[in-house]
Amino acid sequence: MQRITIDPITRLEGHGKIEIFLDEQGNVANSYFQIPELRGFERFCVGRQVEEIPILTNRICGVCPEAHHMAGAKAVDAVYHVDPPRTAKMLRELLYSAFYVTDHTTHFYALAGPDFVMGPDAPVAERNILGVIHKVGLEIGGKVIQARKYGHTVVEMIGGRKVHPCTSIPGGLTKGITEEQRQQIEEMGRWAVDFALFSLKLFDEIVLKNSTYLDLILGDIYTHRTYYIGLVDENNKVNFYDGKVSVVDPEGNRIGKYAPHEYTEWIAEHVEPWTYLKFPYLKKVGWKGFVDGKESGVYIATPLSRLNASDGMATPRAQEEYEKFYQTLGGKPVHQRLATHWARLIELLYAAERWVELATDPEITSDNFRTIPTEKPTEGVGIVEAPRGTLTHHYWTDERGIATRVNLIVGTTNNYAAIQMSTNKAARNLIKGGNVNEALLNMVEMAFRAYDPCFGCATHTLPGKMPLEVIIRDANGEPLRELKQNL
Amino acid sequence: MMKNQLRTRIIGLGNPILGDDGVGWKVAEQIEKELEAKQPLYPHLCIDVQKFSLGGLSLMEQMIDIDAVILVDAIQTGHQPIGSVYRLNLDELPNYSAGHTSSPHDTSLQNALQAGKLMGAHLPDIIRIVAIEAEKVYEFSEHLSPPVEQAIPKACQAVWEYLSELEEKR
Repeated sequence: MQRITIDPITRLEGHGKIEIFLDEQGNVANSYFQIPELRGFERFCVGRQVEEIPILTNRICGVCPEAHHMAGAKAVDAVYHVDPPRTAKMLRELLYSAFYVTDHTTHFYALAGPDFVMGPDAPVAERNILGVIHKVGLEIGGKVIQARKYGHTVVEMIGGRKVHPCTSIPGGLTKGITEEQRQQIEEMGRWAVDFALFSLKLFDEIVLKNSTYLDLILGDIYTHRTYYIGLVDENNKVNFYDGKVSVVDPEGNRIGKYAPHEYTEWIAEHVEPWTYLKFPYLKKVGWKGFVDGKESGVYIATPLSRLNASDGMATPRAQEEYEKFYQTLGGKPVHQRLATHWARLIELLYAAERWVELATDPEITSDNFRTIPTEKPTEGVGIVEAPRGTLTHHYWTDERGIATRVNLIVGTTNNYAAIQMSTNKAARNLIKGGNVNEALLNMVEMAFRAYDPCFGCATHTLPGKMPLEVIIRDANGEPLRELKQNL
Repeated sequence: MMKNQLRTRIIGLGNPILGDDGVGWKVAEQIEKELEAKQPLYPHLCIDVQKFSLGGLSLMEQMIDIDAVILVDAIQTGHQPIGSVYRLNLDELPNYSAGHTSSPHDTSLQNALQAGKLMGAHLPDIIRIVAIEAEKVYEFSEHLSPPVEQAIPKACQAVWEYLSELEEKR
């Protein structure tokens, strides 16, 4: 047996990759952002009992298994034409709210935080969670770990096991919660509300009070005028678990709302020759290429888009922050992509408040957590908001409930066209005359980082994370520079 | 757990429905089956076996209050034939998220462990890795490629030998 040093360059096939082509003057001619795609999930599911799929889909991805479980559970409810009782819906949403707190916390402190706390031009080795902890204090690190621990605990209590929940079945859940568990969940939720408020205060102090950062957020480099979508409740307030998908145009006018089963009337997919992944767009507007504006069907589905597509937040403190957000950034909709980080923290607060609301509902401990399905299974669509975008699961079955077809539109895919546009625009604005350095490169990366793109589903193989490669080519297509700051 | 035992966790990593990426789980399952019979060989180790599809912070959290960890996972180096078994230490893996381009949603395990230690968590000083050179990790399947399947006994052997080393050091 031999000891080796791993050369990650050999894993090119699996890399997320940005290729930037320069023209003869050394300016950016074009850039391409490629995400690897996992293949064969539909084939894998066909022939299985449909209620197995919400358990299987949560293995698609190690980053957001809870989102796949919930979208899958709702799709299976629809396949069996069954409406779960109120308690079951609340328990699922409670689990989901706790998951959101965990996920949004991780994003802000481990991923977005370094850009703002350390600064976009800080040395690479410091631009990570360790740098953040060193700079702002160990106490904050402890709070981050605590927030994650509480989120995991609620997921395990309601979802039946750690990380990959398995209790949602057609018509509801396999189990409810006891009064003792409810009390614990409530207590953890109240802590999470304080933590979210603390995080917003930190954002206010570190980012909003820093004019350089505020200028960066408000600048044109990171701005695109696109359509926005997001799930809303009957009052058009943001909802992560249930409702209809609201669609607003670049001027902020709602052009409609669609129920999960209507998604094919609204969303179509465009194919490009340079990537396996498809680009979803709004069917009613049409695909006009990677361009902004009202005539282009490019949309986004992110925390920012959810705020833009809604009329507000359904909890009081998050609503206050929502109002402050639009007042500070000059009205609705907000097109500046870096504002997504702020929007994410407002959602963190909403998720925590909703966690407490649900945990204190008198019916949450009821034994009525399942409606037994009685109809023949056919076909069904389930939609939830994954932290990084609207997640759609569509299953078809035969009359025995055996899956015959499966279609998924996952969070990051919704944003693929917009990520491509943002990366391209940042590269064009920042790379001039062939001058490329690490600080500029990081600022290009910041363009896509705001979307929280997730290749998590492909990152389990050691060394554990998928590297992202940046290749800059000259006017003849020859590699001019390959940026491997992490390789 | 008996006093003075080393809390030892074997973690099968990977995605059990993503072809060869599931090999870590298969090895862990095999170890689990044999553990009861072999446990008497390791009186100073309190051994448990887990299977996860995790990385970074989430993986670190599964190591809190553990003294020694053996990770079993698929690897793609392209340098050795499919099914080759490697024994590595954590510091032999590149720390990809020195920056975070590579890590769109998390941080590396190395950074996560450092962060955890900074925050006062008890994390293992010993992390050994058994890795199996994989072929197909981008296509959904519950089956392993034949050479990867055939590597399971050798990978299990590597785990048992790591455990013997830990036992001898106690």
